[in-house]
Formats: sequence, C-alpha cells, structure tokens
Amino acid sequence: MPSLAAALSYDFIRYAILAGVLASALCGIVGTFVVVKRVSFLAGGLSHAAFGGLGLCFFLGINPLWGAIAVSLACAIVLGLLDMEKVKSHDAAIGVLWAAGVAVGIAFVYRTPGYAPNLMTYLFGNILLVTRTDVITTLILTLAVLAVLLLFGKGFVAVAFDEVFARVQGAPVRLLLTLLLVLVALTVVVLIQVVGILLVIALLTIPPVISLMVWKDLRSVLLSSVVIGVGMTLSGLAVSYYEDLPSGPAIVLLGTGLLLVVYLVQKLRGRSLRLLAPARPQG
Amino acid sequence: MAETKEEAPVLEVRGLTFGYGSEVVLDRVDLAIYPRDYLAVIGPNGGGKTTLLKLILGLLTPWSGRIVEHLPPRRGRFGYVPQFSTFDRSFPLRVAEAVLMGRLGRRGLLRPYTREDREAVAAALALLHLSPLARAHISELSGGQLQRVLIARALVSDPDLLFLDEPTASIDAESREVLRQVLAEQNERIPIVVVTHDITSIAGAVRHVACVNRTLHYHGGGELTPELLEETYGCPVELFAHGVPHRVLREHP
Repeated sequence: MPSLAAALSYDFIRYAILAGVLASALCGIVGTFVVVKRVSFLAGGLSHAAFGGLGLCFFLGINPLWGAIAVSLACAIVLGLLDMEKVKSHDAAIGVLWAAGVAVGIAFVYRTPGYAPNLMTYLFGNILLVTRTDVITTLILTLAVLAVLLLFGKGFVAVAFDEVFARVQGAPVRLLLTLLLVLVALTVVVLIQVVGILLVIALLTIPPVISLMVWKDLRSVLLSSVVIGVGMTLSGLAVSYYEDLPSGPAIVLLGTGLLLVVYLVQKLRGRSLRLLAPARPQG
Repeated sequence: MAETKEEAPVLEVRGLTFGYGSEVVLDRVDLAIYPRDYLAVIGPNGGGKTTLLKLILGLLTPWSGRIVEHLPPRRGRFGYVPQFSTFDRSFPLRVAEAVLMGRLGRRGLLRPYTREDREAVAAALALLHLSPLARAHISELSGGQLQRVLIARALVSDPDLLFLDEPTASIDAESREVLRQVLAEQNERIPIVVVTHDITSIAGAVRHVACVNRTLHYHGGGELTPELLEETYGCPVELFAHGVPHRVLREHP
C-alpha cells in the first residue's frame, strides 16, 4: 500500500487536495443558502445549463469556462429578476433548462473535430487532473464569495428567512436574491472544471442537509457544512487513491453514507428532524 | 374621539383601487390613520382587508390612487405582524435571531448588527414574556408563542406605525392577555392598525372601525351598528355582547 508521504510528494495529489478543500468550503457556504432557500433544483438547472455554454465554447475553440460562465450567469440573472415564488412554481421549466443544457453541451463536444475530451470528466470530474491554474481560480472565487457574504450576509439571511418581511423593512429583496443566484452560478461553473457537475450538486446539498439534522442556528449550519464538505472530499480522495475508484463517485458515496448514518442516529435519539420538514405553503 | 379627529393623519389612503387579474378587489378606498389611533379593519373573508394592508405596506402596487405618508421617511417605520408566519419554520434560526431580523431596516443592509440591536431584541423579548425562549428554535414554539415572536420582531425596530394581520387567530389565553397589554402600551405612543374578523378579542381598545368589502366604510366611533355590519357583509349580522358589554358592541336585547 502506497504511503501517505509518497502520495503527497506528487504535485497532482497536492493540487487535488487543495482544490478539493477549497471547493468543499465554497460549496458548504453557498450550499447552505441553496438548501435553506430550497433552490437545490434551481442550482442543478444552472449547472447543467452551464454545460451547454461550455460545450458551445469548446466547439468554437474558445476557453469553455467563458461559455459556462456566460450561460449560467445569464440564467441566474433572468431567474433572479423573476419572482422567486414564480420560479419555484416553474420547476418543469427548470427541468427543461437542465436537460437542454446537457444535450447542447454533449452535441457540441461530440461534433468538435480533433481530440474529444472525455465527457465523463465534466460530468463526474476528475479531481486528480486539476492544474495549478484551477487551484488559483478556485481560491480567488472562494475569497470573492466570502467577501460578498461578509458584506451582504445579513441581507441574504433576512431574504432567505422571510422575503415579505425583508421587503416591508425596505431591503432590496430582488437584488439580494439575484446576487445569491449569481454566487451559486459562479460557484457551480468554476467547480464543474474542478470536480464535475455531479459532485458540485453533491457538495452543495449533502453537507447542509447533514448539518440541518444536527444544528439549530445558521452559523453552526454554515460552519458544520464546510467541515463536513472538506471531510467528505478528503476521505473520498483517500478512498479513491487506495481503492482505485474515480474520486467523484467516491466522495458522493461517502457523503450519502454519512447522511444516512446521521439520519438514523438522530432518529434513534428521538430527534424529530423537523428542520427537514417540507416547506409549508405560504399564507 | 373628537381630539383624535382634529389631528392631522399620519397616513392617508386616497382613492385606492386594486385587483387581481381583471377582478377588482378594492374600489376607490379612502382611509386615514391618526396619531395614537387604534383602527380595526374588519370585513368578510376575501373582502380585501389583507390586500389593503399589503398595499399600504408597499408589498403590492395599486392600480390607481395613492398612499400619502406623513411619517419620517426611515426604514423600519412600519412594524408588520403577518397573518400566518410568512417564513419557513424549519429554517435554522433561534427565537432571538428571528427577532433580530426586525432590526434589518433600521441598521441598514451593509452594517453588522450591534450591541444596541441585541439589547433592543432582549427588551422586545422581555416585553412579550419570551425571554426564557430566546434560545429555542422557532419550530419548537406553540402558535401563541410564535405570534408573540412575530410581534416582538415588529416592535424591535421601534416603529412609527404598527400593523397586525389577524393577531388573535388561534392563540392561547396567556398570549392573548400579553398581546392585549402590549398593544395598549404601544398605543400610548403609536397608532395601531389591526386587521381582524374577530373584533370582540380587541374590542375594548378600538377607537375607529373600517369595514372593508370591496369598498370601505369608515366608522368614526369605536362602536359597531347592525346597519354598518349589514352594509359591509351584505347580509344581516347579529351583534352579541359576550359577558361584560364592551364599547364596540351594543348590549344584546
């Protein structure tokens, strides 16, 4: 069995670990808002729509990142400027966006002459192929998202909790929601390159869902989501390294396993898990 | 009553018309709210009471007509207690943090909450007998406790005008008593507008009554007459005084 020290002596492993930690931290923060605002499906739609832009730019020979950013930002801004309740009631439309994005992406990548990249890399990610540039991009994005959250965190919490009351208080609700979706879009796009679409959605949802089963206040949920996300990613990478599994599925499976264990433990302890109750219709 | 009427109103609704789709819900409604007023807005379900409140709060845009304020134009000037909690009770938030949201407008979006904000929260919680529940999660509260949290959140901004939508619907006796006391105290300083179908629960304190059913009938005194109710509800309504007769209701013959 290869030793940890030997593994860490490889650049690609160090980059994988760094990118994984940053990606999980970012997803833990943004994901908490996605989960409590109940827009996981919307986040999924954004990431898959982004794949369409990625494919188009790939076909045109432009850096695919720009295509993904353009499409997901455009979707985030359009959806953000609509009424959030309307967006939620249009979930079938988000489903169409989701499927169409993937179809467009696959079609363009398939038709691109010459070397065809492995589509699996975009969908499931291969964190072991992460470059130094990817790590730096992820770091910059993580810091930018943290800065926006520190600046507008209070507003995001108020809007996520009670839009109507925030509006009565004169908060720019529409703007805050749009900004939140823009953060989701940026997170999703950059992380597609690093960890793949599937893993972005997993890192956005699994850690906050586990945290909500344990903690009662938002600060603890945020912190715990970051810690769980990082733990999931690191242990997933270890499993991937030692057991020769692709890193994405290893991370997602570990996270899902942890979620089930925490759920069962909390159930056995007699916790009601009310924090995961379905949303009540709003009066 | 007379002294109240002579004062200039703090807020006026002028010729307000609004509807959903092509259906008119409120038709040329006029209303004035005076300093230290205690206004009950009553009317049948679907008559437009809550819609009128949402228009005044700026949550809806009128088709025509205006709302004229004579209040200092600051955020947090409106205290608002919604009918059902408009939020998701599974949200990870403790009672004190939920009440802190009421300071958002006053503190501004970009500045962090301060010690002053937290002290205001503690005071509002004490006022509504909620201090022992400050660290409870919002999903752990009874209906009456949640209603008091919503009132604390509305009062924590030190509002110039307080609106309550059906505050007495499904609450326990203890909360009802706390509510009555708190509203009476607040009314020493600021006008209160209560939207309700259950006027008997707040009857003693009401100064003016507005009956809304597409149109609005303003009643200067705090007393309801069968004629007024009949006009509002479109059918004869019987008035009963339960137990001790209070000001709003005539004694039942």
